[in-house]
Amino acid sequence: MFGMASKKFSMETGKQPTWCPGCFNFQILAGVKNAIIREIENGGQKDDFAIVSGIGCHGKIFDYLNLNGINTLHGRVLPTCFGIKLGNPNLSVIGFSGDGDAYAEGIEHFIHACRYNPDFKYIVHNNQVFALTVGQPTPTTEQGFKDKTNPDGVKVKPLNPLKIALASGASFVARVFADSCQVEQVLLEALKHKGFAFIDVIQPCLVFHPGKGLKERLYSLESEGHDKTSFEQAWEKASEYDYNDGQKIPVGIFYQKQEKVFEDNYPQLVSLKDKKISWKDIKR
Amino acid sequence: MRFNILIGGKAGQGANVLALLVGRALVKQGYYVFMSREYQSLIRGGHNFNVLTFSDNEVRSNDSKFDILVCLDENTKKIHKRNLSKSGIVLNSSQGTMFFAGSLFKVLGLDFNLLENELRNLRNFDENIKSAKEGYNAEKRKIDIPKVENPGREFISGTQGISKGALESGLDLYFAYPMTPATPLLSELAENQFNHNFLVFEPENEISAINMALGAAITGAKSMTGTSGGGFDLMTEALSMSGQAEIPIVVYLASRPGPSTGLATCTGQGDLQLARHSGHGEFFRLVVAPGDSVEASELTSECFYFSQKYKIPSILLGDKHLAESFYTINEKPKITKSEKTTSLMRYNSYEHTKTGESTEDAEIIKKNFDARKEKQEKIEKDAERFKMFKIFGRRDSKNLVIGWGSTKGAILDAINGLDARFLQVLYIEPFSRRIKSELEKAEKIIIIENSATGMIADLIREKTGILIESKNKILKYDGMPFLADELKKEIQKRI
Repeated sequence: MFGMASKKFSMETGKQPTWCPGCFNFQILAGVKNAIIREIENGGQKDDFAIVSGIGCHGKIFDYLNLNGINTLHGRVLPTCFGIKLGNPNLSVIGFSGDGDAYAEGIEHFIHACRYNPDFKYIVHNNQVFALTVGQPTPTTEQGFKDKTNPDGVKVKPLNPLKIALASGASFVARVFADSCQVEQVLLEALKHKGFAFIDVIQPCLVFHPGKGLKERLYSLESEGHDKTSFEQAWEKASEYDYNDGQKIPVGIFYQKQEKVFEDNYPQLVSLKDKKISWKDIKR
Repeated sequence: MRFNILIGGKAGQGANVLALLVGRALVKQGYYVFMSREYQSLIRGGHNFNVLTFSDNEVRSNDSKFDILVCLDENTKKIHKRNLSKSGIVLNSSQGTMFFAGSLFKVLGLDFNLLENELRNLRNFDENIKSAKEGYNAEKRKIDIPKVENPGREFISGTQGISKGALESGLDLYFAYPMTPATPLLSELAENQFNHNFLVFEPENEISAINMALGAAITGAKSMTGTSGGGFDLMTEALSMSGQAEIPIVVYLASRPGPSTGLATCTGQGDLQLARHSGHGEFFRLVVAPGDSVEASELTSECFYFSQKYKIPSILLGDKHLAESFYTINEKPKITKSEKTTSLMRYNSYEHTKTGESTEDAEIIKKNFDARKEKQEKIEKDAERFKMFKIFGRRDSKNLVIGWGSTKGAILDAINGLDARFLQVLYIEPFSRRIKSELEKAEKIIIIENSATGMIADLIREKTGILIESKNKILKYDGMPFLADELKKEIQKRI
C-alpha cells in the first residue's frame, strides 16, 4: 500500500512493520518514500541520502527505509544529523524524531539546530504522546490528558514547537498533517530549501491519543494567502494553535527565509562541498 | 642538581606567561625543564603560580623547596616564603611582569638576547623590552647553575602532545564543550584547524559533542571529543552506542577531582574506574593513560588505531597535571598510523541485524554478544604489541612501585637512587597479562595514585588476584600533584 518503489532501486528493507494497523506512521513513511523516489528520479542517488531516527514508535521508520544512516539514541537525532552533515556535507540528511524525542529529551538540540542552520531536514512525528512506552504525556500533550502516570490529568501548558523554532532563528518552519501527500509535498519543498528545515507532523495515535476531531480543525495556510516570507505572519499563525484541544490548526509552510548555511562558515567544509568529497576521502 | 623556581601572582598578572618565557629559554639553552601550573577557578585576582624545575639531567617533576621565588604580588611571598631554600632568592618589587622577566634571566645568568628573542613572540614588544632591560640591569644577584650543551629539545605540554598525536593520526573533526582541564585541547586544536585542514566545533553541550562526533564517524571521518568528569558522565550513553553500533570514536577524559563539580582546576586520578565502566551494557572500552607529553602523542595515536581497527570507543585518560604541565622532549613520539575503516551504511543503537535493522531475535542477540566478546579477545591480543606497561629503575630490585598517568614524572624522579623498580601502567583496559608475573617477582608492592582510594590497587586485585596492603598505598588527594622530594621520603618509609 505504500510501496511505490520503482524497479531500479528498492527502499524496502524487507522488515515487516510493527506499527499498529492503520498507524499514521505508515502515511509518513509513504510520503517520505515518495519524496525520495521523486528526488532519485530527478537524478539523485540513493547513497546521496542519510537518515537518522530516534527512539519511540517513529524510530522504527529506520527499519522500513533502506537508506544509509543510523537509528540513534533517544533525543539525539539532531546532533547525529549534524555530525553526519559535517562528516560529509554533500549528503542529503533527513532526521526523524517523535515529539518526546524532539521536544522533551532533545529540546536543547532543537533550539540550537534552528540557530546553527545546518543544511538538513527534520521531521517530527508529533502524536502528542509517548506511545511506545504506552501512553504518557509529552511536552505537546494537551492539558487535561489523563493516563496512568497522570491520573488527575496533565496540568501544565503544552509547548509550541513552531514558536520555539521561529524564536530560535529557524529558516524553514512547517506543519503538516500525517497524510502521505502532505508529507511528500512539504519534504520536497524542504529538500529544495538550503538550510535547516523543520517539519512538525501532526499525527493521531490510534491507541493512546486518537485526537478526535483533529482533522476537522486543520486548514491550509496556502489557501488563506499566507506570506511565508513574513516572520510576523508566521508568528501570528504559529500562535493560533497552542497544542491544546479545540483550536483551529493551520498547516503548511509558516516561514521560509534563505540564510547562510552553517557549513558555509567553514572553508574546510566548503572545500569538501566544492570537491564533492567527504573527510573519509582525505588521506593524510 | 635540581633548581626550582616558583612564579606566583594574581590571575591576570602573567605568572604563566613569565614561566613559559623562562622555561623555553632554559630548554633552548640545553637544560631539562619541567613546569607545572596551579590556578584557581577565577579570572582576575586570587593566587596562581607556576613551578619550574630545571637541571642538566632529566627532570619530570617539581620539588617542595624553591631556589628562586618570583613574587608578582605580596600574597605569593606570604604563601610560599616558608618553602624557600636557605640560600634562596626572592624577586620582589612593585614593577611589572617583564621587569621580573629581566631580573629572573639575570639571576639565572641567561643572556639578555635570549629574553629578547622570546619577547618577539609576544605583543607590545617595545614596552616589554624596555621594562625587561630595566629589570635585567637592576638585578645584581646570580645563582650558580651548571653550564649545559645540547640545545634544541622541545618544551611542550601534555595537551600539545595529545594535539600532535591526534593530528598525526589524521584527526578530521573534534567536538567539545569547554570544561577544565580538557579545554586547553579544544583551544589548541581550534587554533590548528585551518592550517591542518580539520574541523573543530563547540556545540551546545557534551551530549551533543559526542553524538556529533559519532554522526561524523559513520561517514568515515576520524572524530574525537574531549571533556572532564561531569561532561564525561553526560557522554556515557553515547559511548555505549559506540559499543553497540560499532562506531569508532576517541574520547579524551581529562579528569578532575570529583565528586560532582569537584575541583575544576586541580589534579586528580579518581576517574580510573569511571573510564573503565563508562556507559551501560557489556561492551569493550579501551582505556589508556599517558604519563607525559610524548606518551600523550603515542597513546592518542593508539586510541585512533584501536578505535578504527575494531570500531570501538577509546578513552584517553589524563588529568590536569598532564594537560597543563610542560615537559622537555628528548625523543620523537612513535605514532601508530591507522586507516579510515568506516563508511556510511546502516548503523543502529538497538540490537540489530547485519543490515542494520532492529531485532529481538534470540539467535542474533546471542551472536552479537559473542561477536563483541570475540572482538575484545582480539583487542587484548593485539594490544600486547604495544607498550602496555613500562618498567624503570633497578631491574633486580624486589621493591616494585606501581603508578599510572601523570604521576609518572614524580615517581621517576623520586626513585632515582632508591632500591626500587617502577612499573608504569599505560593500558588500563586491556590490562596486560604480563603484569602479573612482574608483580610476582616483587617482595614489596607499593602503589602511588592521586586519589583517596588508590584504584589502581583494585584494578590489580581484579586482574591478577594480588592484594596490595593499605599501608603500601601512597595517596595524595588534596588536588595537588606529587612532588619528587616528598614522594621519595614516602617511598623510603616503605622499602
